[in-house]
Amino acid sequence: MTSFFDALEVGAEIPTLSRVVVPEDIATYADASGDHNVLHLDDDAARSAGFDGIIAHGMFTMGHMAACVVTWAGPGAQVRRIVATFRSSVSMGDVIVSGGRIRALDAVARTATIDTWVTVDRDGGTEFPVKRGEAVVYFP
Amino acid sequence: MDPSAEGIAYPPTTFVVQPDRVAAFREVFGQTEGVPPTFLTVPEFATFPQILDDPRLGLDFSRVLHGSQEYDYRRPIREGETIWVHARIETIRHKGGNGFMTVVMEMVDGDGELVALARSTMIERGPDP
Repeated sequence: MTSFFDALEVGAEIPTLSRVVVPEDIATYADASGDHNVLHLDDDAARSAGFDGIIAHGMFTMGHMAACVVTWAGPGAQVRRIVATFRSSVSMGDVIVSGGRIRALDAVARTATIDTWVTVDRDGGTEFPVKRGEAVVYFP
Repeated sequence: MDPSAEGIAYPPTTFVVQPDRVAAFREVFGQTEGVPPTFLTVPEFATFPQILDDPRLGLDFSRVLHGSQEYDYRRPIREGETIWVHARIETIRHKGGNGFMTVVMEMVDGDGELVALARSTMIERGPDP
């Protein structure tokens, strides 16, 4: 029987993972992470900083990106490296979609390197809250 | 931010990977098992205050944005274990009116083995034009 890892191919995309971002998620994340920056919790403070209202933590968006990778990789797989560069902010009501494409496979180390990203469709265009993300996953 | 702060290393802080904290993180991201890969942001956040409050940096936190984040794992994090967080200012650069600070945190276990490495780039926006 061919294992999950052995069936992977360079260039293949991993399944996308979407979620609507709501203030309750951000409040829950603030408590879980310890990051209570007012930009994520107080609309007035966020507006005075030039946003339309509270924005998601960058690490909330990256956590969603990691969840996309972990969901695809399945039980037992280990994330060895994960990287995100934050580009545009995520507002409440945005639908964040995480995806990725296999860039390289190492049959000896049993690792897959994946280019990852997070997109939001807004005002008829696509923005990248995370562009040029990366994940390295080990499959035992 | 002051470029001469580059290279400052801070005394290690300890952090216990509490199972209820990990469970809360799993819940946020809809995961059913393991420690989510971005859980390391919790020990990072527990360690950041001593850096952000360091007068040698001269940082205006109200202008700070998170630019990028890297996590490298040598092994999976274990629930219940204690890790020592060794933080240092890796680089400080100024470009296009903004300041860029990279902070590295080495997460070390009770046997002195490196568990994971976290690298965060923070952007201090320049004054509004």
